[in-house]
Amino acid sequence: MSAQKKKAFQIEAFKHRVVVDPKYAEKTWKILEHAIHEIYNHNASGLSFEELYRNAYNMVLHKFGEKLYSGLVTTMTSHLKEISNSIEAAQGGLFLDELNRKWAEHNKALQMIRDILMYMDRTFIPNTHKTPVHELGLNLWRDVVIHSHAIQSRLQAILLENVRRERSGEVIDRGLMRSITKMLMDLGPSVYQDDFEKHFLEVSADFYRLESQEFIESCDCGEYLKKAERRLNEEIERVSHYLDTRSEVKITNVVETEMIESHMHRLVHMENSGLINMIVDEKFEDLGRMYCLFRRVSNGLVLIRDVMTSFIRDTGKQLLTDPERLKDPVDFVQHLLDLKDKYDKIITSAFRNDKTFQNALNSSFEYFINLNSRSPEFISLFVDDKLRKGLRGVTEEDVELVLDKVMMLFRYLQEKDVFEKYYKQHLAKRLLSGKSVSDDAERSLIVKLKTECGYQFTSKLEGMFTDMKTSQDTMQGFHASHGSDIGDGPMLSVQVLTTGSWPTQPITTCNLPAEILGICEKFRNYYLGTHTGRRLSWQTNMGTADLKATFGKGQKHELNVSTYQMCVLMLFNDADRLSYKEIEQVTEIPTSDLKRCLQSLACVKGKNVLRKEPMSKDIADTDTFLFNDKYTSKFFKVKIGTVAAQRESEPENQETRQRVEEDRKPQIEAAIVRIMKARRVLDHNNIVAEVTKQLQSRFLPNPVVIKKRIESLIEREFLERDKGDRKLYRYLA
Amino acid sequence: MILVDGITLLCNDLEVDPQDIIMLVISWHMNASTMCEYSKMEFLRGLQELSVDTVEKFRDKISYIRSELNDEKKFHDIYNFAFSWAKEKGQKSMALDTAIGMWRLLFAEKKCPLLDHWCQFLQTRHNKAISRDTWSQLLEFFNKVDTGLENYDAEGAWPYLIDEFVEYLNENGINHSKME
Repeated sequence: MSAQKKKAFQIEAFKHRVVVDPKYAEKTWKILEHAIHEIYNHNASGLSFEELYRNAYNMVLHKFGEKLYSGLVTTMTSHLKEISNSIEAAQGGLFLDELNRKWAEHNKALQMIRDILMYMDRTFIPNTHKTPVHELGLNLWRDVVIHSHAIQSRLQAILLENVRRERSGEVIDRGLMRSITKMLMDLGPSVYQDDFEKHFLEVSADFYRLESQEFIESCDCGEYLKKAERRLNEEIERVSHYLDTRSEVKITNVVETEMIESHMHRLVHMENSGLINMIVDEKFEDLGRMYCLFRRVSNGLVLIRDVMTSFIRDTGKQLLTDPERLKDPVDFVQHLLDLKDKYDKIITSAFRNDKTFQNALNSSFEYFINLNSRSPEFISLFVDDKLRKGLRGVTEEDVELVLDKVMMLFRYLQEKDVFEKYYKQHLAKRLLSGKSVSDDAERSLIVKLKTECGYQFTSKLEGMFTDMKTSQDTMQGFHASHGSDIGDGPMLSVQVLTTGSWPTQPITTCNLPAEILGICEKFRNYYLGTHTGRRLSWQTNMGTADLKATFGKGQKHELNVSTYQMCVLMLFNDADRLSYKEIEQVTEIPTSDLKRCLQSLACVKGKNVLRKEPMSKDIADTDTFLFNDKYTSKFFKVKIGTVAAQRESEPENQETRQRVEEDRKPQIEAAIVRIMKARRVLDHNNIVAEVTKQLQSRFLPNPVVIKKRIESLIEREFLERDKGDRKLYRYLA
Repeated sequence: MILVDGITLLCNDLEVDPQDIIMLVISWHMNASTMCEYSKMEFLRGLQELSVDTVEKFRDKISYIRSELNDEKKFHDIYNFAFSWAKEKGQKSMALDTAIGMWRLLFAEKKCPLLDHWCQFLQTRHNKAISRDTWSQLLEFFNKVDTGLENYDAEGAWPYLIDEFVEYLNENGINHSKME
């Protein structure tokens, strides 16, 4: 019979009066009851579906639906009771099997019964709000079989026992388990949950609590994590094979809580194998595993991140306060870069490039790099070393890599203006001594700095490059027009530096030797001839000279010296011995420079073209100097000048710092004026906050300095205090 | 212009000491631009404000003039006026010695326990001229902050010299119950 009754397909009752046999209902019911028995006894093949359907249909039609329904309930119930008994009787392992089989049979039977009673299902039942047949069948199974006292507890116990066995490595019948759990789910989600899942989770929690305790006592961190991961995967696999998918998150929660969350701290801090050890030994696999596992529990990653961060900070702090390390700035910076590389690698390979970890790393670096006020100088020295020789022969891509790393460190600096000062000084030396490895590399770095800090930061630096280029052109012009004049005389090469672009140098006195005065004047006249209105002054503390020297036995050498050294040495063309005082008088070189100059000429092994009496290490006013006839060197060209940039001495460092502080004052004032011009009226704390914000890309202004600048501006009548509220300042137009 | 001699004469007539603070108050009434000299306009203006036109009337007014120092608002004005008046003509700031002298004069009658410390602090630590802002803010400081410094607000936008003064007091243990 088709299950669908379309409107156009109505089967109507007989039009003629049907005589209803009073025993009709009973008789009909008996037929159906018998049928149900047969179905349950696997004798359904002998039944006529059509006849049975008709009987049921008739019963309902003749208003005996109630009898039919209650009969169904009674009959099915009694059958289920029998089934229940037979299941109970099953021994040990056969219990589940029997249950499963009977369940399958019941379902088949139910199907057939439902088909037979379809009409009742569709009409009587909805009208009377009774439970439909199929559902009824399930409910009865649940109540009579599953929730029968004996079966319920036994079922639960066996299921849990199977899981336990599987967890200890035994193989169990997964298919059977699946059928049973599916049965429970079919009976209703609360059945699955209350009869099985709830207890499963409880028992699992106990299991893992015990096991994790065992493991944590006997394993190191890495091993423990491996085991935890394995158990987790096992549970996931278990669910996929024979549990409801919604159980997955619940059971993984249990494993996560018991195995990871409860022991989180102990694991991370485990001696000799915890997080720090893994980091130090670069155990990427273990770290990755820890990350994945800890990610599952709340605050797991926070814990890892915090421990890692404080370790990085401590390491960095140590590095930055270790006087040994600080002796060699280039080495020191290289260590910083290595440290960053190490942690970048860990975060990329093990921590899935987690942004929060990246941020923690960055803030740690920012924290400790600024602990040492000399970091800006050292980074500039590192760059200087690279651009001077470190990048010789390196490919363009690798050069870019190094420069990008330098920029990364630069970004961490709080005092970028200090870096700028040193960078300028070091760049000037490199340009003037012609010691830069690659012009392209230099320019590339300037571009990066410009991108980072804006045009203002690099405009002067670019000015320096321009001056170098222009000077080349100027020299060409000079030689073209004066070439013939020079003849045998000294060769002059001049770099004309625009004041303001180059680091400020104090003007020093120095009398140039007569031999070169001629050509120097020629150049001055030539230059001023084409550039009227300008002033030139020789920067005698920045120049170099190449001298051809002939010694006692006729050995010739070419000496590369500083301008000061040249002035001193040229004196020995006319005298074999000169006292300190005489040299000072003639050259007029400032004392400390002169002493340093003489020291490098007389007291350094391999470069002592002068002899000193007495032979002490330091230069005294009473010393006498002699031309060193006996000087030898295996090189023809000897470099004596000190041109390379060096780590500043303490007093020099103080001086630079002072200059930086002085430079900051106008910047702070400019910021204050800018802000007050816009806001007109503002209170003290807000001014400090705004100024800090405006200047933080260059340096962190000191609030006391800001206050002093405000007072200075009040004094100069740019600002005034508000008459009513003394904490407010007003802009005076 | 009435200069030093004239002023001495005036003081004689009024029977007051030229160093008396009352001369400051009188100068304030005249809105004199600098100490030890009165222009004709200033002199006349002062007399007009005080409603005196004879020496006797002027002499009689002395005690009233002196009492004006007790009026808080007037004292505030007189105090601030004193800065421009006492400093060197043409200078922006007041020499330290002058400032200390003026302060002692101004605060002589007032209860000002921190004054001595302030002067000592300046002489040992600062030794430079006093700006107008510092001058005017000092009065506020003495008025608003108690001797125990409990209500001193470090974020209170006080001039840095006053901040340093507080530090100095704390360093030397001069605060709280140590003060009367």
